[in-house]
Amino acid sequence: MTSSERALAHLPPGTDPPRSLPLLLDRVAEPFRRGAAPEPQPSTGFYTDTTVCIGCKACEVACKQWNLLPADGFDWTGNSYDNTGGLSATSWRHVKFIEQLPGGVLGELLDPGRWLMMSDVCKHCVTAPCQQACPTGAIVYNEFGNVYIQPDVCNGCAYCIAACPFGVITRSTIDGHAHKCTLCFDRQRDGLVPACAKACPTASIQFGPVDELRERARQRVADLHERGVTDAYLYGDRPGDTYSALNSFYLLVDRPSVYGLPETPVNPWLRMKGDYLRAAVSGLVSLAALLAALALAGGPG
Amino acid sequence: MTAPLNADPTQQATIAGYQSRPVTKPPNWHGLVTLDLLVNNLSSGLFMVAVLAELVAPAVFRPLASVAYPLALAWLLVDLVCLVLDLGDPARFHHMLRVWKPSSPMSLGTWCLTAYAAPLTLVAGLSLVPVEWGLEGARRVIAVVGLVPALAAAAYKGVLFSTTAQRGWGDARWFGGYLVNSALVLGAAELLLIGLARGRPQAVELLRVASLLLLPLNLVALGLLLADIRAALTEARGARTFVRVAVLAAAGGILLPLGLVALGGTVALVTAMLLLLLGALVVRDEIVRLPHRLHHRPHAAP
Repeated sequence: MTSSERALAHLPPGTDPPRSLPLLLDRVAEPFRRGAAPEPQPSTGFYTDTTVCIGCKACEVACKQWNLLPADGFDWTGNSYDNTGGLSATSWRHVKFIEQLPGGVLGELLDPGRWLMMSDVCKHCVTAPCQQACPTGAIVYNEFGNVYIQPDVCNGCAYCIAACPFGVITRSTIDGHAHKCTLCFDRQRDGLVPACAKACPTASIQFGPVDELRERARQRVADLHERGVTDAYLYGDRPGDTYSALNSFYLLVDRPSVYGLPETPVNPWLRMKGDYLRAAVSGLVSLAALLAALALAGGPG
Repeated sequence: MTAPLNADPTQQATIAGYQSRPVTKPPNWHGLVTLDLLVNNLSSGLFMVAVLAELVAPAVFRPLASVAYPLALAWLLVDLVCLVLDLGDPARFHHMLRVWKPSSPMSLGTWCLTAYAAPLTLVAGLSLVPVEWGLEGARRVIAVVGLVPALAAAAYKGVLFSTTAQRGWGDARWFGGYLVNSALVLGAAELLLIGLARGRPQAVELLRVASLLLLPLNLVALGLLLADIRAALTEARGARTFVRVAVLAAAGGILLPLGLVALGGTVALVTAMLLLLLGALVVRDEIVRLPHRLHHRPHAAP
């Protein structure tokens, strides 16, 4: 608990926090105030084993309940049992349904097919493009190594939305700010498990220190391979050439694109230096051409 | 979006699923952002060209300064209004200044715009002061100091777009290079128009020659940019429309103005400048809309 939170906790219920400045000035000055940085904790995250997900959507409901997120309405998407469609500013968990069923009677006899289900969420990337993009400092790594949007700082510039290669972050039409999974930051600070992981009846969503989760996930993959599920693998458990590891990673049994995940995510920041260089070269060449033209055509006037 | 069930008995996964859907989400950047891209370049370009022109030929260009710098300031104000209005929470625009974060092109750009706004405001104010007051030296020094942030302000938006995960924007590696060159082309055009309006033939002639050199460079920058986004633009708009856009931007927005500038004369020059502006607007608009068009196009069946 920060010092300002401790001071607020002593106020009688319903009391406005004390202001040292008039309201307008206070509003202007507030985002520039800095509190003491919390003590770093071991990084935590999610390990989602899609092979045991049953598509019950308890995680979606628990997330909405705990975080007081409004419903998105009800749509017939025409895509299996998916009726929320995707992650949004008000849906921080989204269960995906992939029907891989053979066509025709003969096909069904030969191969019963399968359903893949996956509870999608923010990946809490170890090097998160959204955090690199955020110009206000609203997106930070909190003491648990999770990517967290400070709701009182975000001004809705939407650059994080453009930067995210997983299409996670969304700007709310209600308050104009960017929103996504907080990994139940408030619950973690009180020593509780995130609501979705707590609600998951099959332990498809597992929460804990990331190192332990990775160990557990690798063991699970080995077990599955032994049992003949040779296409099981982990997505995001270790860094690739173009992207960091994910603190929320997955056990999958088909290509990532089947689950709506990028096959090879790329951190756009890998390109930034080159693009600045191109802009600088173009600018300097153009300025030199302009100067040369003015000097040659007119000379010093 | 969804294929009919059992449409093809030899294929599995008859529900469309997620494979054919775009993974990323384009942000709600639309018309205001296109306008911002244009007026940013109109401001920074005019400022840079005016400063350099004054350095090279002060006697010729000093009479244009009292229009050029205030106009550049007015464009910048329009740009800032666009930027603020485009925020999800415009009342929090000042939160941009709470951190200095060079890793974010938007943060760097915000500070560049701030650093550019200060000398521009001073120079615009001093350009309205009579020469007899003896502040010309100070004005020129401040103007030269403003060149670096002006150049950065012209360039950063292209890098901001190319440093994203969006298809089309992320491919546009030369967008920053195109924008900074385009800013100078537009700046020369604006100053030329001011020279025409104020009856300064020598200034017009100098800027005409400068434009003859800058426009071919603009064509090169546009070519590099179009090569970058060709695949995405063709996917979003079709091959024919891509060719139409490319021809409109290159021929209508650069080559035709180049011919008219070479021809000279008030009508030809004014027409050339208007075509330049139109071409610049088309390029910016196509790029801003690109991921939205890719996102909303009908998804292919699996």
